[in-house]
This record gives sequence, C-alpha cells and structure tokens, in this order.
Amino acid sequence: MTLAWSPSRRGPLGVYLHIPFCRQRCSYCSFNTGPYHPAAMDRFHSALLDEIDLVGEAAWAGDVTIGTVFFGGGTPSLLEPIELETILDRLRKRFALDPGAEVTVECNPESLTRAKAEGYRLAGVNRLSLGVQSLDDELLVRLGRLHSSDDARRAFDAARSAGVDNVSLDLMYGLPGQDVARWESTVRGVLAWRPEHLSAYALTLDEGSRWAGEGVAGLPGEETVTAQYWALARMAREAGYEHYEISNYARRGFRSRHNQVYWRAEEYLALGPGACGFLGDVRYGNVKPVERYCTALEAGGLPLGTHEVLTPAQRKAEKVILGLRLSDGVPLAWLEDARSLVETWASLGLLEVAGDRCRLTEAGFLLSDSLFVHLL
Amino acid sequence: MALSRIRNFSIVAHIDHGKSTLADRLLALTGAMDPKKAVDQVLDSMDLERERGITIKQHTVRIPYLAEDSQEYTLNLIDTPGHVDFSYEVSRSLAACEGALLIVDAAQGVEAQTLANFYLALEANLTIIPVINKIDLPQADVEGTRRQIAEILGLNPDEALLISAKLGTGVPELLEAIVHRIPSPPGDPAAPLKALVFDSFYDPYQGVVVYVRIYEGRVRAGMPALLMSNGRVYEVQQVGVFTPEMKPVEELSAGQVGYLTAGIKRVADAKVGETITDNNRPTAEAFPGYRDAKPMVFAGLYPVEDTAYQSLRDAIDKLRLNDSALTFEPETSLALGYGFRCGFLGLLHMEIVQERLEREFGLALIVTSPSVRYRVITTAGETVEIENPSKLPTAGEIDHIEEPFVRSSVFAPTEFMNPIYRLAQDKRGEHRALEYLGKRVHITFDFPLSEIIVDFYDRLKSISKGYASFDYDFLEFRPSDMVKLDILLNGDAVDALSVILHRDKAYEKGKTLAEKLRAVIPRQMFEVAIQAAIGSRVIARETVKAIRKNVTAKCYGGDITRKRKLLEKQKEGKKRMKQLGKVEVPQEAFLSVLRS
Repeated sequence: MTLAWSPSRRGPLGVYLHIPFCRQRCSYCSFNTGPYHPAAMDRFHSALLDEIDLVGEAAWAGDVTIGTVFFGGGTPSLLEPIELETILDRLRKRFALDPGAEVTVECNPESLTRAKAEGYRLAGVNRLSLGVQSLDDELLVRLGRLHSSDDARRAFDAARSAGVDNVSLDLMYGLPGQDVARWESTVRGVLAWRPEHLSAYALTLDEGSRWAGEGVAGLPGEETVTAQYWALARMAREAGYEHYEISNYARRGFRSRHNQVYWRAEEYLALGPGACGFLGDVRYGNVKPVERYCTALEAGGLPLGTHEVLTPAQRKAEKVILGLRLSDGVPLAWLEDARSLVETWASLGLLEVAGDRCRLTEAGFLLSDSLFVHLL
Repeated sequence: MALSRIRNFSIVAHIDHGKSTLADRLLALTGAMDPKKAVDQVLDSMDLERERGITIKQHTVRIPYLAEDSQEYTLNLIDTPGHVDFSYEVSRSLAACEGALLIVDAAQGVEAQTLANFYLALEANLTIIPVINKIDLPQADVEGTRRQIAEILGLNPDEALLISAKLGTGVPELLEAIVHRIPSPPGDPAAPLKALVFDSFYDPYQGVVVYVRIYEGRVRAGMPALLMSNGRVYEVQQVGVFTPEMKPVEELSAGQVGYLTAGIKRVADAKVGETITDNNRPTAEAFPGYRDAKPMVFAGLYPVEDTAYQSLRDAIDKLRLNDSALTFEPETSLALGYGFRCGFLGLLHMEIVQERLEREFGLALIVTSPSVRYRVITTAGETVEIENPSKLPTAGEIDHIEEPFVRSSVFAPTEFMNPIYRLAQDKRGEHRALEYLGKRVHITFDFPLSEIIVDFYDRLKSISKGYASFDYDFLEFRPSDMVKLDILLNGDAVDALSVILHRDKAYEKGKTLAEKLRAVIPRQMFEVAIQAAIGSRVIARETVKAIRKNVTAKCYGGDITRKRKLLEKQKEGKKRMKQLGKVEVPQEAFLSVLRS
C-alpha cells in the first residue's frame, strides 16, 4: 500500500528526511527527537529504507524528478556516511534524483569531522548546514549545546577542507542574557568565516521545550530582540549577503533551494517520523514517535499520521503567505482582495509594490504575522 | 358589602424594614393564604424581586377579616413598589387607599425612604398608622424609634403599634387598628363610574389586567369603559378581586378594589393614574395628578452579537407590554453597531430591565454608561432635550445647557457626617439643611441627577459602613457648565465613550478613560494616540506604542500546517475584536472600559 495522493506535476519535488535522534536535547528544542542509541539508529535506518521503497511503489514515483533533498533532525550528522549513502542510493533507485539536486545535511559541530564531511560529499551531499547557534561559549552551555565556539569553527574548517563549498550556518538570537553587543559579536565572527548562507532565528519558547516548561530567566525584551534583528540585517548586507527570506541570508547564488520549495508552496515528500509533506492539495505528516514509525513500516504499512486536504482558498492563501516570506514577494494580482491592506502596509513602509509584484520590506518581515492573519 | 366594612390601605417602609414580611403575616393570619402554598413573601413574586428583597411590581390582595366586633371586614392591601425609582407609582397606589401602615425598623429607626414615603402618604391625605417592627431583635430600640417618629415625622408616638412581623407579635392588635383607625371609603355606588388605575400587568390570554380602585359608581362586564386621558373606549370583559389569585365577581362598586379586563393590548394604553369611567354615563372630571412616567436615566443597549439586534428589539417590545415606563428608540454607534437608546425611571429600573433581557431572553448585552436628559438652550432660543451625547449640538449652537437636579435626603449616624459631606462635595451636591436627631443626622442636599446615577449609592453605603440611607426626588432643571467629552483614537472619536459632564469633572474623567484604554488596547501596527478632548481641545493623552515584532521565524521541516493553524487561531481572536476606526480593541476589554 502506497501513498493515496500524488504530486500535481512531475517535479522537481523536494524530499525532507527526518533523523530523529540527538545525543542531548537542547534547552529550547521542541522538535521530534529522542536520545541516540546505535541500535535505535539501526532499526530506524532500515525502516526509513522501507519507507522509501513503499512510497517509491507509487505509480507516479518513477516519473517525478527530485530537485532537493534535506536531511533534518534531530541530528542527521549522527548518520555514518555509509548509512547516508544507502539512503541516497535508495532514493536514486526509486525516484529520478536530479544529478544537480541540492542535497543538504544538518550537522552539529561536535559530530562533524573532516572524514565525515568528505564521506557525505562523496555520497552525494553538496551542502552542509551547521548548527553553530552562537559563538558565545557561556550561552552555548545554557542552550544545552555539546560544542564550544572553537568546535564550531573546527567543524566549519573541516567542511571546507573536505571540499564542501556550500555551507550554511544556523544562529539564534533573543537568547537569555544576550544583549545586542553580544549578538553583534557572534554575527561579526561568523561573517568573517564567509559562509555561503546564514539562517538566524529569534528564540521562541515552543511547547515541548525545556525552557517553555520550566521557564527561563533573563530573556531580552522586544526592543532588544528587534535591535538584534536589525543589527544582523545591517551587518549581513554590509558583508554582501542578500536577506532573501525572513530568517535567511545568502551570498549570491547560494539561497537554499530546498527551503524555497516551502516558501513557493511547491511539493515535497516526507520521510522519517514526524516529517511533513505536501503533494497535490494534501499536506500530510508521519507519526511522530520513532517506535510507532518503525513498527508501522515493519508491518509493511506507511507510517502516516495526519493529513489535510487544502481547499482552493487555503491553497491560495498559503501561496500568498509563504511567498511573502521571500524578498521576491508575490505577484500583486494575488493580493487583489486585500488592496486596502496593501495600501496601509505600503504607507507604513512595511511593503513595497514594484511593477506587478509586491514584497515585504525588512521592517515588514518583522511584523509579517500581523499581515498574514488578514490574508488567510 | 357595605362600604363601612371595607378598609383600603398600603404598607410603606424603608427597604428591609419588614414590609413584605408583614404582608405575608397578615395574609396568613386571616387565612387568605394557604400557608403550605406560601412561597416566602408571596407578594414579591418576580424572581428578581425575591432575589433583591424588594418589590418592583406592586400587588394587591383582598383579605377577609373577622374582627373582634364579630363583623366581617374586607381589608384591601394595596402593595407599593419599594424603590425611589417608582415614586410616581407609589403615589398612585397610595391614592387608591384611605390609610397607610408606616413601618419603622426598631433597630434602624427612621430612614430616608421612611420619610419619603411618609410625605407621599401625607400628600395623599391618608390616615397614617406608625408601626414599630422587629421589636424582637436584641438591638431593638423602641423608645428611640418612638422619639424619632415624634421628632422627625411629627406623629403621636403613643399611637405607634409595636410588632414583630416575623413572630406575629402585635399583629392581631394591628388588624384591629386597621379596622378602627382607618376610615371606610367614601363614595356613591349610584353615581357615574369613576375608577383609578393604580397598576396593571399584561396577561397573554386576557390582555392587560388593570388594577382599579372604584371611587364612584359601579363596573361590571359589558360596560363600555372610557379611558379619560386618551379617549379610548373598551368593552369591559371581566371584573374581579385578588384573593390573591384573580377571582371574577359580578361587579365592583364604589370603595372597592379589584381588577378589570377589557381587551386592552398594551400596558401603555392603560397607564397608572388613568381614570376609567362609563362611556354611556361619564363622570364629570378625571382624577388630578395623572402624568406619564418620565424616564430619568438613559443608556444605549446593544447586542454583543450584531446578529441579535432583531431579538433585542423583540425582547424590548415584550418587556414594554408590561412596563410602560421603559422607553426606547433605535440608535447606531460606530463602535457598537445597531442598538437602542433606552429610558429608565432610575438606575434600579435600568438594572432590572438589563437583567430581565439577559435572563429571560438570553441576550448578551452591552450597556453604555448611563446618562440623564439635558436641556440645551440654543443660540436660536430653542430648547432641545438631549439624552444621547452624540446628539448634542455643536458648541457654537449652544447658548447654555441645563441639567436635572434632585432634592435628596440622607440619614446617617453623626459619625459619618464628614465623609458624607466630602462625597456630596465630590458629587457637586449643594447643602440645603441639617437636622440633628439624637445620634443621627438628616441632611438635605440638592444633587445633579447625573452625579448620583453612577457610583453614588455604593460609595455612600461604603463610607457609612452601610448605615446611611438615601432618597431623592426630581427638583428642577438648572443651568450648568456642561461639556461633551470625546475620546479619540488616532483622531477618530469613539462615539460609545462620549459623555456629557460638568466641566470640572472633565479632566479627571478624560484622564481616567484614556489610562484605562491604554491598558486594554493591544499594540497595533502603528502608534495609537488616545486623546480625551473637549471640542478641539485635548485635555489628556496616552500613547500605545507600535508593535515591534510579530513574526514566525521558522516553519521547521516544512510544517506549514502548524503555522497556518496558529494564524487561524489568531484570526479567530480577531473576530472578537471591536474595530474602532483603524484601531482594534478586544471586545471584552472595551466593555470593561465602558462599564467603568
């Protein structure tokens, strides 16, 4: 039995693979991840291969091209290169993986060595996303990270020397005790490394995280967090980075293609526990617990959890809301029903209309949810 | 029954002095009520009345009484509403009597409404029997109360009867006193019919049931009844008495009290004070003193849900069937949508209407801050009555504004005089008279009505530890320095928050409203200026800073559904927002400002 829904076109599709293990859970993390054990990884790994086979049995599978692959987690860099290679091979076997596909692996600095980076590259990975978060060692401890700022630098150098020429760094701001100056110092530091891509997320206390449950002292106020956003925007611009999405910056030619699949409301497959996919007009997600995920596949079934069929209105709204996250914006025609909103936002300097397109400004990014709620 | 064996009387008292308990006791003693069927205080039959322990709608009952002289008498107890809002109704009920029992609580002494009711009874030329109640209480001060009856009311203290309505002590003597002291009704059964309407209620099957006291002549089914104030004629369908259940009788004749039905559709068509006569043989003159009950307090009533407008209209229409004093007209507010500006006899009346609409009709209501009716004298020399701040002419068109004043009585222990004077000063009261009554004082103030309809009574009770009593009566319109205070959000006036008030009060009120709004208005995309202004002059200002950041940083692993659900939840929240100009305010928060 394979997926009951199918993509609306032949692709390219994105593929998101979720690797649900970590050596230690970070203080802020609410993602679907559990403790790492080699045996658990083995079981999960074979279940994941089964899942690729099952999804690959779909009649359309052989006809679609895969344009991007993203290994997210959890901690995907817990995968040995050989394990990762078998996964990519299985994908190639079942689908037409574009030879030029962007293949990204999220890596934690402490688990990325030069050998591993090289192994990944040889297996077909061409982009690494390194979870640096901060160059402030005191903050890294509070965040529950297992690496220091030096470790991060070493991991970055390892990637470079392994020949990975497309490296993204993940950063966080709005952290407890972090003032604007401390944040600027991290930004200054990582910009000096000249990564191809930067993602920077303001801390949110999501349900399920330790900090959301226990509370955390010393969170900076909104003024500080806003100032941090603007500091990054300014410093990244000065360093030649394009602020191409609310939380993402890239040097020319190095935008994340996989993330743009999301923002353009394009289609992608979900693989792994809790992974989310979008095919045709269906958004779906796998079951989250690793145990249930494995059991389902071992019994020969797909590990589907939830799914939702979007109405045409929902699809339209999503396209607008997601598209406006990008600096490219959306065709103005998509906002025909919200003309007065567009005018108001433009008058407040939050939105720009250029020709037949409309896009949020950097100030507009910061307030985007206040607009999106009206566009649903 | 011979006129000589009829007694028509009322019981009047300050609130909680035991009026309803005594009425129940009288009924029980004379067997007019089956005690097993007795709901506590049967005369107060509305739920609301029982909860509040006050009588809103009066009732009447015929009590057969076998006196010590072995004659059977008919005692008609005509109940009266127990609140100042309804003093006109009280006066009409008293007009239907020859005597009144004036109840004074032995532990409390003479209070403000004791005095007000005493004056009403005097005006109606009634024989007044002072009755000292609750003599069983340990703190009862019978001698002190006697003294007050003599000093304050000028009645003979030796005539006061001592009773405990709760235990029944002294009640047999009271019944005898009713028979012996209250005169039997005058009247000629052979004269043309002359009947006074002193109450009515709407019955879905029989139409309006009119409570009448017959002064002259007789009335029976089939007679064409002429209502002298409006000239309408109805055929009488049934006449009867209250036992307290309605019991039809052949006829009612001079001196008697009872009811009639005549296919009258609305209570407003047979108002209290109306004179009914025989259209074929009319009486020469109607009773003097008839007037329309005039609303004194006004407020906008709006449904919380816009869709409930029609239900609200229907509900008010139904209440009006039974409550001719309630007035209403459609009103539109930018902030609140479609609703009604309603007129009430007083604050209590307003609360009752509001509660009945909510309880009996299941409506969720928004009620704007109550106001009074102002008289505006325009520069063109015209007089315009304004009960809605938004209808006030522009400053240039106004020569001056007059506001209603009341004359009020405050009774309180002397130790509370200072705070009471301070409160009165704060409420723009003018001191008129001060009278020492032993350990208590009776202070007379003139107040602008607008000052006492909001938070006066509660404050008086609070500063006097509950000991002060208060009563008032409309006095006159007086020129006052009134202004209209507007609240503006980014320059747009919020009509529902506009108030007419005295210039001296405007600054404080404006500041308070602006501060309250600042606390409840969530930050918007832009800075929100909250201004309190008189005309174009801003007297207070608060600012709600613009929101700096509202963004979902990431949609992890393409989980778009989660983000959309979060936004959808926010959108649901927006539906409960009131849009005031460009500013969004949570409905609940807005209501909390409106109520304050």
